[in-house]
Amino acid sequence: MRHGSDEQPRHFTAPGDAPRVIDQGSVWILVAAPSIWAAHFLLSYWLAAIWCAKSGPMASLVEPRWIIVALGLISAALITWLGWIAVRRYGGVFVIFEEITESSERGRDRFIGHVALLLCVLSVVAIGFTVIPGLVFATC
Amino acid sequence: MTDEIDLSRLPPPEPYDQARDKAQRKRLMDAWREPPGWKIISAVNNSHIGKWYLLTSFAFFTFAGILALMMRAQLAVPGNDLLSQQLYNQLFTLHGTAMMFLFAVPIFEAVAILILPEILGARDLPFPRLSAFGFWCFVIGGIFVSGSIFFGVAPDGGWFMYTPLSSDPAYSGLGTDIWLLGLSFIEVSSIAAAVELIVGVLKSRPPGMRLNLMPLYCWYVLVVAGMILFAFPPLIAGDLLLEMERAFGWAFFDPDRGGDPLLWQHLFWIFGHPEVYIIFLPSIALIATMLPTFAGRPMVGHSWIVLSAVGVAFLSFGLWVHHMFTTGLPEISLSFFSAASEAVAVPTGIQIFCFIATMLVSKVRPSVPMLFAGGALAIFVFGGLTGVMVALVPFDWQAHDSYFVVAHLHYTLIGGMLFPLFAGIYYWYPFVTQKTFNARAGRWSFWLMFGGFNVAFLPMHWTGIMGMPRRVWTYDLSDGWAVLNMVSTIGAFIFAAGFAVLALNVLWPRGKAPLVERNLWNAGTMEWAAEVPDKPWGVRSIPYIHTRYPLWEQDGLIGEIDRGEWFLPDAEEGKRELIVTDILDARPLFVQRVGGPSFLTLGSAFCLGAVFILATFHLWTITLIFGAGFVGFTLWWLWTGTSLIPERPEKYAGRGLTLPTYAQGNRSPGWWAVFITMTGDMTAFMGLVFSYFFYWTALPDFLPSAAHLPGFGWLLLGLALLIGAWAMTTASRETLGHGRRRLSMALLIGALPVGALGIGAWGWSAYAKGLDPTVQSFDAMVWMLILWMGLHLLLNWVMHLYVAARVKFGHCTPEYRADLMNLTLFSHFLALTAVTIFALLALFPLMMGVGP
Amino acid sequence: MTGQLLRRGILLIGPALLAGCEGRHNWLASAGAEAQRVEDLFWVLLIGAVLIWCLVIGAAVYAHRRQVDPSLETQARRFILWGGAVFPTVVVGALLVWGLVILRDITADEGDLTVRVDGERWWWRVIYETPEGEVVTANEIRLPVDRTAFFRLTADDVIHSFWVPALGGKMDMIPGRETTLALTPVATGNWGGLCAEYCGGAHALMRFDTIVMEQEAFDAWLTAQAAPAEVAEGDPGLEIFQAEGCGACHTIRGTEAQGPVGPDLTHLASREKLGAGLYDITPETMARWITNTHAMKPDIDMPPYPDLQGDRLDRLVAFLMSLD
Repeated sequence: MRHGSDEQPRHFTAPGDAPRVIDQGSVWILVAAPSIWAAHFLLSYWLAAIWCAKSGPMASLVEPRWIIVALGLISAALITWLGWIAVRRYGGVFVIFEEITESSERGRDRFIGHVALLLCVLSVVAIGFTVIPGLVFATC
Repeated sequence: MTDEIDLSRLPPPEPYDQARDKAQRKRLMDAWREPPGWKIISAVNNSHIGKWYLLTSFAFFTFAGILALMMRAQLAVPGNDLLSQQLYNQLFTLHGTAMMFLFAVPIFEAVAILILPEILGARDLPFPRLSAFGFWCFVIGGIFVSGSIFFGVAPDGGWFMYTPLSSDPAYSGLGTDIWLLGLSFIEVSSIAAAVELIVGVLKSRPPGMRLNLMPLYCWYVLVVAGMILFAFPPLIAGDLLLEMERAFGWAFFDPDRGGDPLLWQHLFWIFGHPEVYIIFLPSIALIATMLPTFAGRPMVGHSWIVLSAVGVAFLSFGLWVHHMFTTGLPEISLSFFSAASEAVAVPTGIQIFCFIATMLVSKVRPSVPMLFAGGALAIFVFGGLTGVMVALVPFDWQAHDSYFVVAHLHYTLIGGMLFPLFAGIYYWYPFVTQKTFNARAGRWSFWLMFGGFNVAFLPMHWTGIMGMPRRVWTYDLSDGWAVLNMVSTIGAFIFAAGFAVLALNVLWPRGKAPLVERNLWNAGTMEWAAEVPDKPWGVRSIPYIHTRYPLWEQDGLIGEIDRGEWFLPDAEEGKRELIVTDILDARPLFVQRVGGPSFLTLGSAFCLGAVFILATFHLWTITLIFGAGFVGFTLWWLWTGTSLIPERPEKYAGRGLTLPTYAQGNRSPGWWAVFITMTGDMTAFMGLVFSYFFYWTALPDFLPSAAHLPGFGWLLLGLALLIGAWAMTTASRETLGHGRRRLSMALLIGALPVGALGIGAWGWSAYAKGLDPTVQSFDAMVWMLILWMGLHLLLNWVMHLYVAARVKFGHCTPEYRADLMNLTLFSHFLALTAVTIFALLALFPLMMGVGP
Repeated sequence: MTGQLLRRGILLIGPALLAGCEGRHNWLASAGAEAQRVEDLFWVLLIGAVLIWCLVIGAAVYAHRRQVDPSLETQARRFILWGGAVFPTVVVGALLVWGLVILRDITADEGDLTVRVDGERWWWRVIYETPEGEVVTANEIRLPVDRTAFFRLTADDVIHSFWVPALGGKMDMIPGRETTLALTPVATGNWGGLCAEYCGGAHALMRFDTIVMEQEAFDAWLTAQAAPAEVAEGDPGLEIFQAEGCGACHTIRGTEAQGPVGPDLTHLASREKLGAGLYDITPETMARWITNTHAMKPDIDMPPYPDLQGDRLDRLVAFLMSLD
């Protein structure tokens, strides 16, 4: 008998398998898109803060500007890929006008897909907002 | 899943037998009965703790409200000398502090502890004694902080405690220490509640309640508790830095010694802005729960609301600098935060429009709760719109710290938090007391508060535009603010009168009034399935849920529950039992036994409270004695109440379902609690890491020359030893699994000296180079990181000895070793902390070219 | 200025608003170029906010009173999409861009004159940087009209915030850092200045006057401020000033009093106000300030001199009143 870390007392077998968080049908996709927004946001902020702190007032922001935009595009692409997974999970059609109340794993999976898709859209909008300051300011 | 139990095809229940029902009810009653008389203070059940929590929070609300009325009386006329400058400064500091820390956040926990288990059809939360512990911590800390005003030593640095006003003992006295230690203590209880609620939502759902069927309230609780976990710890880190500077003169915020006052503002607002949403979302959750009831139909856009809650939670962490728009940061930095502050309007708008859409396609029954919900909408939308204004940097440069912001924040908080909460109070009043409130008095309280609020706060926008700054105790007639202030004062007193009506209505003794009928609002959520009069066990049997609104969509459910046809209808062993389910699909995993009434949690909370209070007065010896008392009580509580080996490995739960009675690793709620707590702990640590990099960014010569860096060799040796200790802990888990108890114990105890040598090497690396925390911010930061590691190691040692003793006395065995698994999990986080500190102290300077 | 047109329009609506447009601390006084940019933004935001509020609350009231056919649920969901998601995104996106452009425009890195202001508990040390050197004064700032003044802001003890609402936004003064602010007054007058960041104790009583003058008058004033005090040899008031130890904290240029701690008093009587923008300077307020300081401004570091009475007090006051 193997004694892995999740091994349960060996007198019985529990119903179902181990709790699933990261595997199929799981919830990681819910936080993935907003996390990409958060990462882009923090990177942009740090980049500008360190750039301005280390190169003094009135330093040109042209280089950081394009880094921020490029990061924004990469993030948006990543989120689009997530959105594609979400749509597939949701059922492959871009229909957003229904409630998913079916009591089944499929129903739960579709629901998470739907919420994840909505979060993808929101995250892309928020990333767009973050890029705007990069375009407006040319100096620190 | 092939091995999944199909809950919809369970065997039919046994035929109803009145004698059996009666016997089962008696046994359940015996297990769940609360102690009589004064011993009731040892109760831990959620219905008691929740009620006490709620009443205590409202007591602090009333207290903070009276402080506000005193301030309004002082400002009613120009040049008033009713209150002194000193008292006024204490009043507004305490008003903000008490409203935020002693009312707004605890009330979320209070309401959630009270109704969440019932909405989940559960008998209690997974850690009832932890709820009780958190509650008593809150009471002690709250009284300590509030009571200071009666001795004239209340904090007077503003609820935001900006450094250096708060860090330099020349400018601030004992009040600041009371604020720091009292609130750190309360933050501990908030985090405890957050851990409890997250695990509650994830693991204590009724069988069958998949994520897509989970009520909106639970989504909000999950999101908000998660936010607490990431928002509060940075403030705890900040508190630690600030108290080290105040008590021991460590150089963190003093610019003359390489510190920076702005660091505090970052740490405070990384907490402070999510805090606003931590307050707002749970109240909106109440509306999202009661609106479908009065509309008589499910919420339109359920998944949109989940999107909005999760979206707001994330975006709210990108807003903190909008409290710092006027601190002279580069414009581009400000603008990122302006952008996020504007973006957060989008999910908030979605939330509001879901409510309106639900009302559009239904006929909403008029009622007092809906009246408050409507008032909340009117006020909150306006507050949201002024929020869009102040999120624009140039506008904020004018509005910031003026009465415009006072008006804005009260519109958002009273509209977004207080009015929905009052709606909830009226809505769940019959649920808690099983009596009806007086509807006429309810309407009176609404109109008085709604009218009074607008009279008080609408003119304040204009007062701000007229240039009145915040936190001033007096002004001159020539300033032109007199009429507006008088109007605001009148409004404030009308508002207070409305609250008095509400308080009377809620607290009015209704002993002889008839009981309400069951589910009197005809709601669809599970809490209304409770029997009238209510029973301490919550639900008679734990049902299988396969709809979003079970009381509407599962015919005959209440009868089935009452007849004990569902799970765990009995308490044969006289134990309090819950069903733990899995996160995604709520499949039953095992039967969890939870603790009953206990004085141990009280003793533990009392000792911890004493530690914080005595530390304020620097009475170190007695502090240590009470610290030992805290450790003692806590260990006693854990020893007798957690990870108990069951009398048999599984039990019959009813309807053909046999479930284990013990779980370990990531099936058990305890493991999740450790995981979640340590996530919060890592967030606090990240606050320190942020501080390190903040100094490096803000100060050109933060990193000293190689001669003044902690020794690389010693750091490396220390890391190796610390990792070695971690490896020994992990190995002890494996060896115990193989049945080698003695070796396992030896490894556990052996890890102590190895870890001690490791932290010793780190301490020496800094000491040998003469690093003095009172001289330079870099030195202070190095010592802080080592101290952080040391404190965690100390805690880890206590846990090692505890688990070794559990193994020795047979409470932790090769089969049942949840304690050791939880300890290992803790140690994983510790190893991660050690590696990160090594990277900061040894590798980063090397990377920047100043290393050896 | 659209803002001014709008303002005149709104002025007609109600006396309450009319009353609001007076006052020397008013953001909407149109006294500064930077304030005017924010004012334009404000009126658009205000009207937009009122409109949106009416629309949303109107929709809620309509939804409450009248039930739409439940089969139209799809329309209700469209309503969420367009009203709750798309509309706010467009509106706040546009506002964000406009706000950022204004921000870019109202910030500057230099001006026609540079003034250093240092926040102290609870008063203001003011230093004009002129080609001839520094001119030190306190608690009163005079500016030439239609010139951009560039403020370099610092603080010595705790955080303060420099705010002249009628001229433009505020900027914090932070120990260990220097922040900057550009203000361009466009209307002459005496505008109020305040400390906007809570700084403990007498925060409410930390004020200053901002007097906007024509260029010639300003130049004359600055020249006069640069000169040392005109004190007669052996002035009995100065002797009392020194005997009481006032010179340990205060500076009167041209005398032995060179204390660096408190406000510079070289041209005290030329100022409009006493005690950091609080009281008109008269012999009565001056005498009371010296003898009963903490009744006029609690908690400040200056000790009261209650024993200073009669003749000695009169002489000291007369001396201080002569410092113009």
